[in-house]
Amino acid sequence: MPEIILKNVTKMYGKSAAVNQLNLNIPDHSFITLLGPSGCGKTTTLRMIAGLETPTSGEISIGGQVVFSSEQGIDVPPEKRNVGFLFQNYALWPHMTVLENITFGLENLKWPKDKIKERADVLMKMLKITEYGTRYPAELSGGQQQRVAIARTLATGPKTLFMDEPLSNLDAKLRMEMRTELKRLHMETDSTFVYVTHDQLEAMTLSTRICLIKEGLLQQYAPPLTVYNEPANTFVADFIGSPNINLLHVKVQSVNDKTATLQLHDKTIQFTATGELPIAAGQEVVLGIRPENVVLDQSGELLAQIYSTLPSGMETVVRLKLNGFNLTEVVFGSVDFKVNEEVHLKIKSDKNLLFAGDAEGKCLAQGSIY
Amino acid sequence: MNVTQRLKLFFRKPHNVILVVLFVLLTVLTFLPMLSIIMDTFTVHTSEVMRIRGTHAGDFTLYHWRKVLADGENSMSIFYKPLLNTFAISFATCAIGISVGGGFAWLITRTNIKFKALLSALFVIPYIMPAWTLALAWLNFFRNSLVGGVPGLFTVLTGITTPNWFAYGFFPISVVQGLHYAPFAYILIGGILKNMDANLEEAAQLLHATRLQIIQKITLPMVKPAILSTFLLAFSSSMSAFAVPAFLGMPVRYQVLTTQMYRTLQGLNPGYGYLMALMLILIGVSIMLINQKVLDNRKAYTTITGKSSNVSLFNLRGLKNPLSYFLVVGLLCITIVPLITFAIESFIVEPGNYALSNFSTVFWTGEGAVDIANGEPGILRNRSVFNGLYNSVVLSLVCAFFAGSLGILGGYAIARKKGTWLSETVNHLTFFPYLLPSMAMGAIYLSVFAVPHGPIPALYGTFAVLVLIGTVKYLPFATKSGINAMLQLGGQIEEAALIMGVGWWKRMTRIIIPIQKTSFLSGYLLPYISCMRELSLFILLISPSTAVLTTMLFQYNEKGWNQYANAINLLIVVVVLLSNYIINKLTGASIDKGIG
Repeated sequence: MPEIILKNVTKMYGKSAAVNQLNLNIPDHSFITLLGPSGCGKTTTLRMIAGLETPTSGEISIGGQVVFSSEQGIDVPPEKRNVGFLFQNYALWPHMTVLENITFGLENLKWPKDKIKERADVLMKMLKITEYGTRYPAELSGGQQQRVAIARTLATGPKTLFMDEPLSNLDAKLRMEMRTELKRLHMETDSTFVYVTHDQLEAMTLSTRICLIKEGLLQQYAPPLTVYNEPANTFVADFIGSPNINLLHVKVQSVNDKTATLQLHDKTIQFTATGELPIAAGQEVVLGIRPENVVLDQSGELLAQIYSTLPSGMETVVRLKLNGFNLTEVVFGSVDFKVNEEVHLKIKSDKNLLFAGDAEGKCLAQGSIY
Repeated sequence: MNVTQRLKLFFRKPHNVILVVLFVLLTVLTFLPMLSIIMDTFTVHTSEVMRIRGTHAGDFTLYHWRKVLADGENSMSIFYKPLLNTFAISFATCAIGISVGGGFAWLITRTNIKFKALLSALFVIPYIMPAWTLALAWLNFFRNSLVGGVPGLFTVLTGITTPNWFAYGFFPISVVQGLHYAPFAYILIGGILKNMDANLEEAAQLLHATRLQIIQKITLPMVKPAILSTFLLAFSSSMSAFAVPAFLGMPVRYQVLTTQMYRTLQGLNPGYGYLMALMLILIGVSIMLINQKVLDNRKAYTTITGKSSNVSLFNLRGLKNPLSYFLVVGLLCITIVPLITFAIESFIVEPGNYALSNFSTVFWTGEGAVDIANGEPGILRNRSVFNGLYNSVVLSLVCAFFAGSLGILGGYAIARKKGTWLSETVNHLTFFPYLLPSMAMGAIYLSVFAVPHGPIPALYGTFAVLVLIGTVKYLPFATKSGINAMLQLGGQIEEAALIMGVGWWKRMTRIIIPIQKTSFLSGYLLPYISCMRELSLFILLISPSTAVLTTMLFQYNEKGWNQYANAINLLIVVVVLLSNYIINKLTGASIDKGIG
């Protein structure tokens, strides 16, 4: 079964590494997203697994078969890896009709004519494009082209399906719809999906595991909720979640067992860790507070000013000024506030984070704030 | 609002004024002359009075049509045979041009061949040089003594006499023209291959297609439009080509429509010539109509360009080195070697004798001796050569100035009023001269301007008629780059200035023209270079005082003054290459980046 394993895979472009010593284990039947800002090497990774790009070094195996190894000199061509690939721009052949696009792969595999027709009918029905069989791609809308591309990719029944930002050319509404469909498709086809995106929401909602990459280096590889609640570093914490996490650069005043006193300019707050607290007094740290954990509460001791509000009906994103720090909070429900109003705050949950203050920003502890 | 007010408002917009002026000008300069040439095919001309018994000059007659189209053997040799030759050559030219250029494009964009930049630069040179350069080089190399005259370098060096079919006529004409249009195929097809979304081929590869299948089913269909447009351009250009068939076909009396047209128009049967010009125009127009029919809009070929630029290159393996070196040497042979032969040929006194003692600078700097070419002085001392060079440069500059400027204005107005009837009509009118074979257009202007029309005096033989025809003929290039530049720019940039109350003149000179400088400059460059190397457009219209370098080259060659012809040819090639190089360095525009 197609478990995909990457060992120390590196891709160099000249002197810069697009992908650096990447180790990844993609279990069978999983839906993995490669997530990261543009130019981080996620597409390169995907193309290397598919065989469209040759790694500089390392080893890749699919379903127990080594398809690339720089040491053993193995490089299985893409057409022999039995993988499907969905391109960002769909790459539909403009000179072929929808039907011709879909059946192209089957014809190459020399399937009998009646079987090809049968398969194409099933796929077109599944993707609701039956009535477009004789049209050319240029005559279809973006969403329809997308479906044709999916049908074409699925036609040969690949056990692993690679997708390179397949929804980024669609409008917001269609994107939402296609997300649902992709998740259904994953269940129905019972295959392994590897999905590249720069949209954290897409990664969160779709995948069984997220692989977060920054500048060619793996940052974290974990299920979505783990990535959200226990980010490995400030980069991951900042990248995941909308609105963004609040990251406050503060100084440690004193440490007492599991509780640290942190300085917010002339005010102090207490951070009590649920586990170890490996920090010392005088150290620079970054406090990470998810916007939904900032709550308005009359009994709260923190006093802040409302800077601006963005009500959307279901929730309102409020921007606050707290002792010179910017703070974002999410208030659920149809509420709005007056700008410049003074409000009292509380910080709930024991899932607040403490990161190291250096460039790497490793996560040090998790805990509650008073 | 009454009509006067509406007209006032209409003409207050500069682009409307431009469109109307262009509409009137182009109708007068391209459309009405067509009527004149049709009339000419039914008219008895002065030189024909003796032949068509019982008529006077200007009478109506069906003589030309009957003689050319329906007079058995006679029509066969006057018209049908040259017509067949024209078609045969045009097809062969296209086949050679497209297979050589397309194959080269594939090698450069899809394989790991060496010296890509050098090869690419060398390959486009034959396109920048005038088409007949290779024809003259071919003669210098392969001419034989079977049809009189002296043998060429090849025979002298190897002792083998080239057979006639190899030295003259169909074969060399097709090869030379094919090589001339190959760079065009390379530019068009290579452009598509380079910009084509690599994902399209990768998708096929992932769906288990072999490399051959990918080329066959994906790559070739994708470049089909480029192949088609190369075919149409090469076909219509080689159909109207004059110089190459004249140089290579004349020794064995191999006639095509253009050479036949020249003969008859210069000789005693201008009526025949006008009729042939009309035929050429009809063929040209129908090719364009076929073009529009064939190109299927359903399969829109413009797809979103992919982001993956690194296509896996085809590994030539063992062939890589031999092929790379072979191509470099081969390309040097058809680009640099011809120039060397022109230089050599222009220095030898007794043709065919390549002994060192036979070399002399007499044809360059000699004062002119009675025993050599009727006392014609060497070309560096020759007043008529300087006059020709001067005429060439001035004519090219003036034509380029008018065509380029009209192109900018026309492009601006057409783009601004895109979609309206007037804009579309003017767009088609500016494109119309492109369809007219050069020599046919020369014939038209000959027919129109031989006599005065109202306030316009008879312009035949004047410099003005050359300027007029050059400007009109090259207007399509300039307008096309003008339209492209304007469409690329979009209207908002100008509107931003308009809203701030900036006047039209200032908007053009301070905003639009500076931004699209390069595109507009190539609108000047293309007419300039094309004009510099134009022969068939002017050959019917020049008089001794308005001769340009190209027509002098043709006349020297016709007289058999080989050394002068070679020297002048060298002069033209150097001027053309140098101009292109200088302008390219200064502005980034180059002729091989444009159309035509």
